[in-house]
Amino acid sequence: MTESKTLTGGALLFEVLEEHGVKHVFGYPGGAIMPIYDALYDSNVKHFLCRHEQGAAFSAVGYARAAGTVGVCLATSGPGATNLITGLADALADSIPVVAITGQVPTAAMGSDAFQEIDIFGLSLACTKHSFQVTDIDDLERVLYQAFEIALEGRQGPVLVDIPKDIQLAEVTERFDKLSHLQNKVQLPLADINQALELLNKAKQPILYVGGGVGMANAVEEVRDFAEKTGMPSVSTLKGLGSINPDNENYLGMLGMHGTKTANIAVQESDLLVVVGARFDDRVTGKLDEFAPNAKVIHFDIDTAEINKRRAADVAILGDLKANLPSLVTDLNIAAWQQKLQQMSRDFAWRYDHPGENIFAPAVLKTISDLMPSNTCVTTDVGQHQMWAAQHMSFDDPSNFLTSAGMGTMGFGLPAAIGAQISRPHDTVIAVSGDGSVMMNVQELATIKRYQVPVKVVLIDNAKLGMVRQWQDLFFDGRLSQTDLSDNPDFVMLATAFDIKARMITKKSEVNAAVEEMLDHDGPYFLQVKIDAAENVWPLVPPNTANDQMMEGV
Amino acid sequence: MKPITLNKYQLIIMADDKQVVLERILQVTRYRGFLINGINAEVNTGNNEATITMSVSSERPITLLVDQINKLIDIKGVKVDNSRL
Repeated sequence: MTESKTLTGGALLFEVLEEHGVKHVFGYPGGAIMPIYDALYDSNVKHFLCRHEQGAAFSAVGYARAAGTVGVCLATSGPGATNLITGLADALADSIPVVAITGQVPTAAMGSDAFQEIDIFGLSLACTKHSFQVTDIDDLERVLYQAFEIALEGRQGPVLVDIPKDIQLAEVTERFDKLSHLQNKVQLPLADINQALELLNKAKQPILYVGGGVGMANAVEEVRDFAEKTGMPSVSTLKGLGSINPDNENYLGMLGMHGTKTANIAVQESDLLVVVGARFDDRVTGKLDEFAPNAKVIHFDIDTAEINKRRAADVAILGDLKANLPSLVTDLNIAAWQQKLQQMSRDFAWRYDHPGENIFAPAVLKTISDLMPSNTCVTTDVGQHQMWAAQHMSFDDPSNFLTSAGMGTMGFGLPAAIGAQISRPHDTVIAVSGDGSVMMNVQELATIKRYQVPVKVVLIDNAKLGMVRQWQDLFFDGRLSQTDLSDNPDFVMLATAFDIKARMITKKSEVNAAVEEMLDHDGPYFLQVKIDAAENVWPLVPPNTANDQMMEGV
Repeated sequence: MKPITLNKYQLIIMADDKQVVLERILQVTRYRGFLINGINAEVNTGNNEATITMSVSSERPITLLVDQINKLIDIKGVKVDNSRL
């Protein structure tokens, strides 16, 4: 007689992960998640040991964004769980589907201030799309199925599942009926396409305002088709970069605080904004009351709560952008508007003829962009280098530019690049970082070393917290406060300590050869690029100012 | 300083009677800039349906809060009913 093998909660977790096509997870073990790590032994899921739970969360985010799938991270109770929070908040702000599994102290100990006990379920309320705490083993399978469904349904986002240790060890007695799926409870109203077409046909100066929702909706092709067929000039948010073909002659670049002059002026002068998957973020609008003051608004979004949140829509088209946008393709009579903006783009084109021998960060990023293979995935951290990358690099898809847009989280770039590289092993992945940001998750160099993840790190090094220093110079009378990083470690020595090939360059004459060496190198590479600490990001729309009143240098 | 005028609203919220649904509503209400003036909640009743009546005040339009509460996974519906204010 053969005995049927018992299925524990821990084993069930990996069974459900495999049923959802999960091949890779990122995590860090600890006491309250040991039964899950024991079950990992017998599963086909590959686990990547990160060196901090925040690194695990960001690797899951990078994995999800680069591959267009769900990222999964694991952490133990207490500090392990709290260390995930920044990554979950980042995923919530940028609508990234992540499932986070946390171990919890046994149910009998919950609420007793047990060792490594924290109410992560309570903490998760503000930083996840939804969360669960499983207190009955026979709920676990249903909850895990719901977690994946909720992470991907509608506006995507992170979901946390907190599993007490005794539930991980318990034997499953009742299986979940997998055919009973969640229903999308929001019944979206039928869109008034005719009203939108009427606005389009009346418009003389329309602008297509493209956001991160385009990539999330898998609607890049439809948005490009709309932009090509209508000839409508387009602008992009930070997270929307890559959605519009950068070679489209009517594409004006990024708008907002560090947007191009042409993009910001065009939006301010527009009489119609066709907003696709964007949310009028404050970094985009500048002074909201003065943003695109004469424009009507057609707003496409999957999230009802984004309609009329910061700017009233004249026509709201809720639902699937991929299905809805093609209905609006029409001939527009806007030749004069196109020509004016094309001329403005030529007049205000970026210049890279920076004087002197020092390396000009925009030029080095432009060089990397020109030399990197097609379908390269670039991640960034947060600060000046992030804005320079957004301004001076070109991306052929939004999944090829991963940046912490909503939350603006320093420390994002390195672990996100690791996740991206693991999800796309055959593509080049470059992490553009700053000397402030890279230190925030520098321990992930150990993850690169352990798994020989061939990420290329480009460190734009000005020995400063450059963006804060820029603002202190411009808006706080030059009273520099806690932004000097001149005592940074020797980054080449640091990378070398993790067996990562590393090089530092200081002169513009070294740039091309160094970039080629980096891109040609088979394994991980760390390129430290020393730049002038006084360089600022231009243009800049000062806080609470209309977007057409940008500063272009001092 | 210009005095801030707070508008008062009453919400009737129908929800699946799931764990912490009340906490979720309270968290969203505070975060979105609404003061809670009063609340009557029948939750964890075992009949799978929770009804929460909540009086709130804010200078912000109530649609902002209604849309955000509606986004919560366990919420079935939200109505504004100012008749009993």
